[in-house]
Amino acid sequence: MGKADVVPTPGVSSDTPAFDAVVVGAGPAGSATALALARAGRSVVLVERGPFPGSKNVYGGVVYGRVLDEVVPGWWNEVPVERWVVRRSTMMMTGTQSLAVDYRSAAWGEAPYNGMTTVRSRFDNWLATKAVEAGAQLVTSTVATGLLRDGHGRIVGVRTDRDQGELRANVVVACDGVNSLLAKEAGLMAPAEASHHTLGVKEVLDLPGHVIDERFGLRRDEGVDIEMLGCTRGIPGGGFLYTNSDTVSLGVVLSLPHLAEAKVRPEELIADLKNHPSVAPYLRGATLREYAAHLIPEGGYDTMPTMVTDGMLVAGDAAAMTLAAGLWLEGVNFAIGSGLAAGRAVDRAIAAGDCSAKGLASYRSDLEGQFVLADHKRFRKAPALVLSERIQQRYPGLICDLVDGMFTVTNPVPKPGGVRLTRSVAAKHGVKLRQLAADTVRALRVFG
Amino acid sequence: MDDIRPGPMVVACIRITDLRPQIEPLSGTVVREPWSTGLSPPDAAALEYSFRIAEAWSGHVVVITAAPPSADAVLRDARALGATVLRIAVGSPSSDQAYMDDLGSDERAMAGMIVAALAPFGRPSLVVCGDRSSDRGTGALPAFLAHELGAAQALGLVAITTTDQESMVVAERRLDGGWRERLHVPCPAVCSVEGAGVRLRRASLTATLAAQRTEIPQVTAAGGPGTTRGTHPGGPAEVVVGPGRPFRPRTRVVPAPDGDDPRLRLLALTGALVAHDPPTVVGPIDAAGAADALLAFLIRHGYLDTEPVGEEAATEGTR
Ligand SMILES: Cc1cc2nc3c(=O)[nH]c(=O)nc-3n(C[C@H](O)[C@H](O)[C@H](O)COP(=O)(O)OP(=O)(O)OC[C@H]3O[C@@H](n4cnc5c(N)ncnc54)[C@H](O)[C@@H]3O)c2cc1C
Repeated sequence: MGKADVVPTPGVSSDTPAFDAVVVGAGPAGSATALALARAGRSVVLVERGPFPGSKNVYGGVVYGRVLDEVVPGWWNEVPVERWVVRRSTMMMTGTQSLAVDYRSAAWGEAPYNGMTTVRSRFDNWLATKAVEAGAQLVTSTVATGLLRDGHGRIVGVRTDRDQGELRANVVVACDGVNSLLAKEAGLMAPAEASHHTLGVKEVLDLPGHVIDERFGLRRDEGVDIEMLGCTRGIPGGGFLYTNSDTVSLGVVLSLPHLAEAKVRPEELIADLKNHPSVAPYLRGATLREYAAHLIPEGGYDTMPTMVTDGMLVAGDAAAMTLAAGLWLEGVNFAIGSGLAAGRAVDRAIAAGDCSAKGLASYRSDLEGQFVLADHKRFRKAPALVLSERIQQRYPGLICDLVDGMFTVTNPVPKPGGVRLTRSVAAKHGVKLRQLAADTVRALRVFG
Repeated sequence: MDDIRPGPMVVACIRITDLRPQIEPLSGTVVREPWSTGLSPPDAAALEYSFRIAEAWSGHVVVITAAPPSADAVLRDARALGATVLRIAVGSPSSDQAYMDDLGSDERAMAGMIVAALAPFGRPSLVVCGDRSSDRGTGALPAFLAHELGAAQALGLVAITTTDQESMVVAERRLDGGWRERLHVPCPAVCSVEGAGVRLRRASLTATLAAQRTEIPQVTAAGGPGTTRGTHPGGPAEVVVGPGRPFRPRTRVVPAPDGDDPRLRLLALTGALVAHDPPTVVGPIDAAGAADALLAFLIRHGYLDTEPVGEEAATEGTR
């Protein structure tokens, strides 16, 4: 796989229904594409393998809804929200210590809001329903099994696992998520590279809403987002904790090759996290509702596939668009942003009567001009930095020990000076001050 | 209302509900979501048997349910398979609370309403239900239906097959200790089936797309116990056990695929490479089992080249 199969599809019948576009995958990218196309008056069919949109989808828990402003004005009045994130905490951890930078904003708790926790089966379904209301046709429990090509090898639709299952269309939009089989079949994507992917595993834990409010210092529909570093036994990655109405999502994201090498099972890492002294009190008495796992395309800008070819384009995770830049783990908003852009590009191409790669090329320039590729380009070096050995294995402990040294009262021994303390703690963690300075400069370059 | 068609009528009387309801842990309140509405395995089996029997009899299938509009997606799928469909309207668009509060709590009244709603289609030759619904689960509705229709009944069946007479079906029922018995069920009859042994057919894509554009006919709940009671001189005909003694089903022998290459034989047996990973239900399983399934997937697809560690390594390695 990964090489374009340009053999025409035998027996592509002419009487299969013809659409302006076939969108594969009713995740956020696919529903946004279908919505944009249906609103533009195009005939579009949205194919989803699950029994309903969102039934197969896994994520951490926070969606940043600004991208919806343009498509669903006042979306916050109707979106199936769990809680509005008003507290965002970044935690550096070792097995027994933690240092949190905690930010709280009252403005994030009011319209137009910033981030929300939401359950994917509800959110994806809500977005897909918008597309259906706009005129898209949603077909569930149907797997797109491959691409249809005409005599010139041009993509003219998809094959599905149903009888008479060919769908012919001017354009196929592959929104089939990470490890997109369609993008590979079209030759847009090289075979999957483990180092460009992380494995996200999470548990959803039941906890009564009022207990969540009390433990996390929240009121009514307020929520918290805690991102954690140093909680994965040195396996590059991180942890997260998000509050829903009456559940808490807790999980870890792990570099695949390192996970394999470490020979640790992912659920052991979640168990570690649940027992951590800074996390356990939040979760006392919580019971497991759900366990889920999914790949994340974390390679960023430099690992994205070619996005268009004749008759097809790729959006969302299928195009590796999750922004996993350490402080940020955002994929849903990027999927929606790219889906809307894909819809617009297909509409323009159909209007111009040119659905070749050239006719669809405005997709990429549209993405470059907005947050989707601008953010990815800006933070293109972030995945390598964030997953690097020192950031992952040395700095969380170093920072915690530094703070420990500052605040542990050692009377009658006098307090250590800042420089001496830094020097000794850095030495303890095998980091040279030169490396510390170099990493600071690198971080400023990457995130600056 | 859909066309009234000639030939024997087989009715699939099914319950469409949220298959994954959330239960509030403290209050025990059941929260149902309209989009995860579907057919439980027994109801899916009932529908499949209805199609098989109608095909054998050159008859037609009528699918009836009492449900809120969220059931329409499932009814459209049934229509795409060629059935005539009908919904007795209950509840609000997003909730079937009304069903649970009123109709569902009185199965006798429900049976009366179903029979009243079916009346314009004529008298069913056979009604097939699931042996229990996933939410209420008393399994009593088929018996009430049989009573209302004045029909024979055979409940909790493993299989139904047709005979060369349209007035009779042969059913199989479980007995204790792995034994089964055969029943000859005279029609008209009401049968309920277990959710096992058959898989509901899938509609073609063309029919699915066409069915999506159609409205589902609905009737408001009317009638009640006894209002439409079928009259059958001398009562329903009797179900006959046998002929033959109870039996234990034999182990099914799967013929070995041809060829010398074990890899190719394995491929032929498993159907691998025939299609991409079809949707797979691996649960409900515990976290460790889920992690195993996921790791096995990653290994299969070349993301991991190491075997999982721990106790499971031994079994994992054999896959
Ligand atoms: C553990 C974890 C935590 C995350 N946390 C966050 C977070 O907090 N915030 C955030 O914004 N993002 C987060 N993400 C990323 C986010 O989930 C993804 O970026 C987002 O879901 C991408 O949307 P998509 O529509 O491109 O793909 P998906 O959501 O993966 O949707 C793809 C759809 O295509 C369907 N499909 C696939 N193949 C076929 C086929 N052949 N035929 C038919 N249908 C098909 C699937 O069933 C699915 O519905 C997280 C991801 C993970 C794994």
